[in-house]
Amino acid sequence: MSMIRLENLVKRFGAFTALKTMDLTIADGEFVALLGPSGCGKSTTMNMIAGMETPSEGRILFGDRDMAGVPMGRRGVGFVFQNYAIFTHMTVRQNLSYGLRATRRPADEVVRRTNAMAELLQLTPMLDRPAAGLSVNILQRVAIGRSAIMEPAIFLLDEPLSNVDAAFRAVMRTELKGLQRSFKQTMVYVTHDQLEAMTMADRIAVMDHGVLQQVGTPLQIYNDPANLFVAKFIGSPGMNLLHGRPVDTGGEVAIDLGALGHSLPLAPEQAAAARRAKGDVVFGFRPEQAARVGEGQGMAMPISFVERIGARTILHLGEGAASAKTVFENDAGFEMGRALHFAPHPSAVRLFDAASGAALRGH
Amino acid sequence: MTRSLAFEVFRYAMIMLAVAVTLIPILWMASMAFKPIPEWQATGAALTWWPKAPTLDNFRFVFGVSNSDLIVALDRTALKPILASFLAAGIGTVIAMTAGTAAAYGLSRFGSGGNLPLALVQLRLFPPMAVMTPVMIMWAFLNMTDTWWGLALVYGIVTLPFAFWLMKTFFDDMPREIEEAALVEGCSRARVFWRITLPMMRAPLASAALFVFILNWSDYLIALLLTTREWVTIPVYMASLSSSMTGQLYGAKAALGLMAAVPPVVLGVLIQKHLVRGLTFGALKQ
Repeated sequence: MSMIRLENLVKRFGAFTALKTMDLTIADGEFVALLGPSGCGKSTTMNMIAGMETPSEGRILFGDRDMAGVPMGRRGVGFVFQNYAIFTHMTVRQNLSYGLRATRRPADEVVRRTNAMAELLQLTPMLDRPAAGLSVNILQRVAIGRSAIMEPAIFLLDEPLSNVDAAFRAVMRTELKGLQRSFKQTMVYVTHDQLEAMTMADRIAVMDHGVLQQVGTPLQIYNDPANLFVAKFIGSPGMNLLHGRPVDTGGEVAIDLGALGHSLPLAPEQAAAARRAKGDVVFGFRPEQAARVGEGQGMAMPISFVERIGARTILHLGEGAASAKTVFENDAGFEMGRALHFAPHPSAVRLFDAASGAALRGH
Repeated sequence: MTRSLAFEVFRYAMIMLAVAVTLIPILWMASMAFKPIPEWQATGAALTWWPKAPTLDNFRFVFGVSNSDLIVALDRTALKPILASFLAAGIGTVIAMTAGTAAAYGLSRFGSGGNLPLALVQLRLFPPMAVMTPVMIMWAFLNMTDTWWGLALVYGIVTLPFAFWLMKTFFDDMPREIEEAALVEGCSRARVFWRITLPMMRAPLASAALFVFILNWSDYLIALLLTTREWVTIPVYMASLSSSMTGQLYGAKAALGLMAAVPPVVLGVLIQKHLVRGLTFGALKQ
């Protein structure tokens, strides 16, 4: 049983609280990404799952078994470190077979499984090379293979791709996902790269400042961020957030955005949410979900910068509190300094409570 | 970057000066070791840079097989002092490295022995000589004066701080993840230390051991105080190479000095690869 349950997990290092509270259940065979900026507590959480750190409070259960006091070698977890932690005084073969030899498996089994793992990760040609001189990309594979060879029911990966080059990262994203599908392990993946989390994970747990912000599928996180932090953090660029106040415009609800005028009338669900708002709200929409409109409609903001990245064009609009970004698929002759008239699709609008930052939902 | 010619000339002049200060005494010793008696006894204008009639007589003399015209009877040859030096410096190094490495590992990984660094600094706050009188009395009481093991023990204690501090730095620099990776694979703590940590620390261990060995090997004062006759070491024996008739036996001293320089040099060459490579945990990129 390789379900992982984290219950009221807290970790303090002296006066510093790395993890304020964490409740999370990871299903058997699920791929969960712990996503967040540096220092959000994601690696601390991972280290506690692995048994490298002891929780200050709370429990970690694998299935129904409390892991308190179980040393890391007995937890049946595989761990891939950000810096690979390759044993540089050994060959690739010795590295791969390390766990099997440490647990004294029969020699023929060690050879068979090492060769199979090398074949799977395309490491066969360098099996007998010393690990010290190999490239980062290969070391990365060796590190994954060294853990995967033990066929752990739980596989923990701590930013394994942050040191490899961009092209290889794309390859490894696909391979890791494939590896997980074929072994069906429970996989916990720590990363600060939302692209990795979005592309690989079944569910993403977004963390910030030691607090779990939201757990959900990649699309849930992207489409319905639970609060302002998730809205800003997810997406590249993140969600546009403008301060405003709900106003009733004859049966319909719009958001008064101050100098930017009124938004288009909200879709029914958002309108219901806006009616529940107790004060000011934050009006959010994804940069990809705005369309150009004619003059006099929607919002108008001066284009302050045009970022052309080939397939897409990112416009930086306005400045200070009244700024936004929009993303268009094509470059329709945008000019810096000219005003852009645009409006977010009503269904794409998300509202947040300005005071608490929590999402306002209509149901 | 282009430098002016004047600067280059100045730079090389300074380098040559620094090299000369280091190398000329060694060169002089080597030259003297091969000079026959009249040449190393010569003074003033008769002194020459190179031996005019090179001979191995000085080497034969310290081993007691000289047929030279030196009318000096050595009461003992250099063989036993060489053995004494090897035993005392070698075992002393083993003691310092074993205790120092174990203590450094414990402190670096588990924070055990938190006041150890300060305690070990105290060992070096004053010159070892300052406590040698009480040590002499203790060693005499324990019948350990003039024994190689008594001297080795003192060497081990005196150089322990160096071994500890060097190894502590090296252990601190070694990423913990390497050990954790092995632990997670089901390896025991002890096995991690023997199979992962120590092999990966070969280079630092070799550098620290060489450093400690050279300290022990070149000691004169402690050996002078703690040995009297049976187990005098090379430096002590060397100082005794004189006679009332001829004064200091410079040729013999130079020959012995040249031989004494061999072990550190050989060790240095052997581990040079490690010294140059220093501490690179190859795979790691932060």
